[in-house]
Amino acid sequence: MPKEVVVDALGEACPVPLIKTQKAMKTLEIGDVLILKIDHSCAMKNVPEWARKVGHNVELEEIGDCEWEVIIEKVVA
Amino acid sequence: MPGREKRVEEYDVVIIGGGAAGMTAGIYTGRARLKTVLIEKALVGGLATYTNEIENYPGFPEGTTGLEMMNLFQKQAKKFGVTFKLTDVKSVDLTGETKIVETFRTTYKAKVVIIASGGRPRTTGAKNEEKFLFDKGISFCATCDAASCTDQELLVVGSGDTAIEEGLFLTKFAKKIYVSVIHDQGKMDCNEIAREAAFANPKMEFLWNTVVDSFEGDDQLEQVVLKNLKTKKLEPIKVDRCFEFIGYLPNTEIFQNQVKLTDSGFVLTNERMETNIEGVFAAGDVRDKFLKQVATAVGDGAIAGFAAEKYITESEVFYRIIEESRPYTLVYVYNAADAASRELLPIMEELEKEGKEQVKAVRVDVYKSTGIASRLNVTEYPCVAVVKNGEVIKLICDISKEKIQSAIC
Repeated sequence: MPKEVVVDALGEACPVPLIKTQKAMKTLEIGDVLILKIDHSCAMKNVPEWARKVGHNVELEEIGDCEWEVIIEKVVA
Repeated sequence: MPGREKRVEEYDVVIIGGGAAGMTAGIYTGRARLKTVLIEKALVGGLATYTNEIENYPGFPEGTTGLEMMNLFQKQAKKFGVTFKLTDVKSVDLTGETKIVETFRTTYKAKVVIIASGGRPRTTGAKNEEKFLFDKGISFCATCDAASCTDQELLVVGSGDTAIEEGLFLTKFAKKIYVSVIHDQGKMDCNEIAREAAFANPKMEFLWNTVVDSFEGDDQLEQVVLKNLKTKKLEPIKVDRCFEFIGYLPNTEIFQNQVKLTDSGFVLTNERMETNIEGVFAAGDVRDKFLKQVATAVGDGAIAGFAAEKYITESEVFYRIIEESRPYTLVYVYNAADAASRELLPIMEELEKEGKEQVKAVRVDVYKSTGIASRLNVTEYPCVAVVKNGEVIKLICDISKEKIQSAIC
């Protein structure tokens, strides 16, 4: 059963959210989902860009004013 | 493997693509109180966000940046209740009455889909190209950037109609234009008229058998290194800007085999932005169209949004007509601007009265839209469609009270 992992990067500036994401993704199996919480607008660009480049499924959701969730499904090992 | 269940969400309108066309469509459907979601694969704004200056969009006499303008578009769309989802559309099924749009987490069901997925200019793939794209020295649009090329030296890559025609336009501004052509001397892909005009233009110099090997410069493009395919020699050329006109790739892969496309992959629409599928519209750069600009994308989006609203309303009216036949409904399809057609209206009222609860009369005016008429298969006006228990059983275009009476007993 695929699992969902939440990583809180609220208040963190770039490149911390991206590094946290890359670390967390390593621990996941294919099909698992990572939910990254961010409030730094630069992370809403570089995290999805990285994840798409690797080949994962990505969705960016606006939660509130200047607060987003990046949802990443691990597709490639 | 997929253990998670996909969410299913229902909308009136799903817009695919968050550029100028998609957001304008959203402003119109949102304002018409249709439940609208817009799905964008990267960040909203589309291709316009890659331009630093937009000087030809009316209403901004001081000019503005693409990003700033697109942020305003988004703000306006949000004001009218449009939901934004930033993710890729994986697949679509547009053929049914209910349209299905799949992202990796959600299945969207909609009455209408508006395709505004845009496209991207084809690039040469040469070294360092990424570094100088758009406002750093590599352009794809003479209409957009010619004015800022006054007295500059430019390189145009390509020899098709667009390359040569845009190149000729650029000679009105630039001091000198090199044209890199992949073919042998004298051979070009463009039409004869453009070819002759280009040869006669003293500002144009052709570099035959060449392709771009690399782009060089610090922050801005300073020179382009061309490779001669025959001699294999590299030749650097100092230019202020490079224009690539080697094709435009529409983002229509997921619509193939459903929506009618041109040979180059653009969506075919009529002037109402309707595609070959009912309830599916297209707007902006993804369409087969004459001019790709924010100003024209906005026009497309407005039409698509308006047409979507009309389509949904007409569907509702149509189903009401069909479902509420008791058992007979007489649908009088006419043009209200035509006096002779108006004179037949009393007949319909009489038939309804005489039918005593068994017959209902409905009027459909085709003056503004023929949508309902075409669902009833009515192409001539005036005409009466006789509906019995939810089915059209007869069309009477040569109208008389007797003929209609005989159809309903």
